[in-house]
Amino acid sequence: MTVAYYPGCSLHSLALEYDRSSRLVCQRLGIRLQEVEDWNCCGASAAHSLDQELTMGLASRNLAIVNRMGLEKLTTPCAGCFSRLKTTSLELRKKKSSPEEMGKGDAYTERIPEVTHLLQYLYEWVGPGKIAEAVIKPLKGLKLAAYYGCLITRPRAVTGFDDPEQPVSMDQLLRALGAETVNWSHKAECCGGAFAASETSIVIDLGGQVLEAARQGEAEAIVVACPMCQTNLDSRQQAIEQGNGILYDLPVIYFTQLMGLAFGYSISDMALRRLLVSPLPLLMRKKLA
Amino acid sequence: MVPNLYRPIHLDKTAGALQVELKQVLGIDIEVCLECGKCSGGCSNGHIFDYTPRKIVQLVKLGFEDTLMKMDALWICLSCQLCLDRCPAGIDIPRILDYLREKARRKGITVTRPNVLLFQELMLDSIRKRGKVAEFPLMLKFNFKSGQYLKDAGLGMKMFAKGKLSLLSPGVQNKEDVRRLFTSEPAQDKGKT
Repeated sequence: MTVAYYPGCSLHSLALEYDRSSRLVCQRLGIRLQEVEDWNCCGASAAHSLDQELTMGLASRNLAIVNRMGLEKLTTPCAGCFSRLKTTSLELRKKKSSPEEMGKGDAYTERIPEVTHLLQYLYEWVGPGKIAEAVIKPLKGLKLAAYYGCLITRPRAVTGFDDPEQPVSMDQLLRALGAETVNWSHKAECCGGAFAASETSIVIDLGGQVLEAARQGEAEAIVVACPMCQTNLDSRQQAIEQGNGILYDLPVIYFTQLMGLAFGYSISDMALRRLLVSPLPLLMRKKLA
Repeated sequence: MVPNLYRPIHLDKTAGALQVELKQVLGIDIEVCLECGKCSGGCSNGHIFDYTPRKIVQLVKLGFEDTLMKMDALWICLSCQLCLDRCPAGIDIPRILDYLREKARRKGITVTRPNVLLFQELMLDSIRKRGKVAEFPLMLKFNFKSGQYLKDAGLGMKMFAKGKLSLLSPGVQNKEDVRRLFTSEPAQDKGKT
C-alpha cells in the first residue's frame, strides 16, 4: 500500500516524535508513506482565520502535488492539516474546480485526492485485527484515555469518520495493542486549539477540563492524534496543576508511539523521552520500559 | 448599542442585507435555523463569548452587522466545529464567523484581542516567506512584538532542552509557487525580507 504522506509544520519541530513514530509504525504494517514533495503549510489556523481564498490556495497546492505524484490517497497525522485538506477537497468537488486551478498551477486535472487522517487510515485500511497481529509486546495493564479532540471527527459532514460525540476508533486500536481504555467524558471536547501562545488562559481553561476529566476517568495517560492537543495538554499541564492545586502527572502520548512500543520498538525509537510529562515512570511500573 | 435580541422580528422591516449576503456569497441560509440552541449549548468557548452562536445567528437575522464585526467572539472562536456538527439544520456558523472576521479586518475595525490577530498575522508572514510555519521563531517574534518578552520563558527552555523547538526548520523550495497564492500585502514585518 502506497499513500501520500503530509506531515505538516508541527511534525518538523514540536512533534518530531509523532513523525518518527508514524513512519516506523506504517513501515512495520507494510504501508509505504511517500512524503508530499516540497509541501507547504496546509492553510490551517492563521490563513483559515484571516483569508479564505489563501487557505484554499495553500491546501490546493498540496493536493495538486499529490496528483502530480500519481497518488490517489493522502494521509496526515495532524488533525488541523486533515481538517483543512479534507475541507478543501470537498469544496473543490462542490465548485467543480481542481487542486491545480485553485493552487494556481498550470495543469488541470479532474482528480482530487482522497484525504484521510492517519488514525482513520490505520483504522479503516489496516484495522484493529491486523494491528493486533503485529503486537509483540502487549501494553498490559495500561489504563488510557483516548482523546480525539475536535477536528478528527468534526464536522461529520466533512470528516465522514467515526462518531463525533462518542468516537471509538482510537479506543479500539489501543485495545488491539493490549491496553485498557477508560470511559470518560471529554473524548471530543476542545483543548484550546491554536490559542496556546496568544490567549493562553483559554488553553489553561479548556485543557484543564480535559485533564480533570481524564483524572476522574481514572486514566493513567492521555493518548492523542494531533500535535496541537499534545502540546497544549503536555506543555500547559504544570500551569494547570498550579491553578487547580491538583497534581495530574498525566503523560500525553501520541497513539503511534504506543503502537510502536507494542510492536517492539524501543523507548528511544519512539522518542518517548521528548514528552514533557515523562511517561517513563508509568511504563516502568507496567514493565513496558 | 447592545441590541435587544429578544424582541419579535418583523420580517419585512429588518434589512436582511447580511442574511442575503451570506446566502449569496457562502451559500449559507440561516432562514432554516430552528432556534433550538444546540450550538450555544455545546460551544467550547460559549461561557466566555459576548454573543453565543445562537445569538450570533439572531444578530444576523436582525441585521446588526456592526455589532457582529466588533464582537469579542469573533476572535476567540476555536473553530472546533461543534456548533456546526450539532446543528440539526446544518448551519455552518464557524464559516460565518470566518467571513465576518475577514470582513472586519478588511474594514479596519478595532480588534478586541489584538494578540490573537498579531499571532495570526505573524504566522501568515512566516508562510509567505518560507511556505511553512517555523514555530520557534514565530513564538519569539510574537513575544517581542506583543511586548511580553519573558512570556513562557521557563516553559520555552524546557521545550528547547527536549529538542521541541528548533531554530532552523526547512522552508519550501519553490517559494514563488507559494507566494503567488497571497493576494494581500503583509500586515506585519513591513519592509523586511
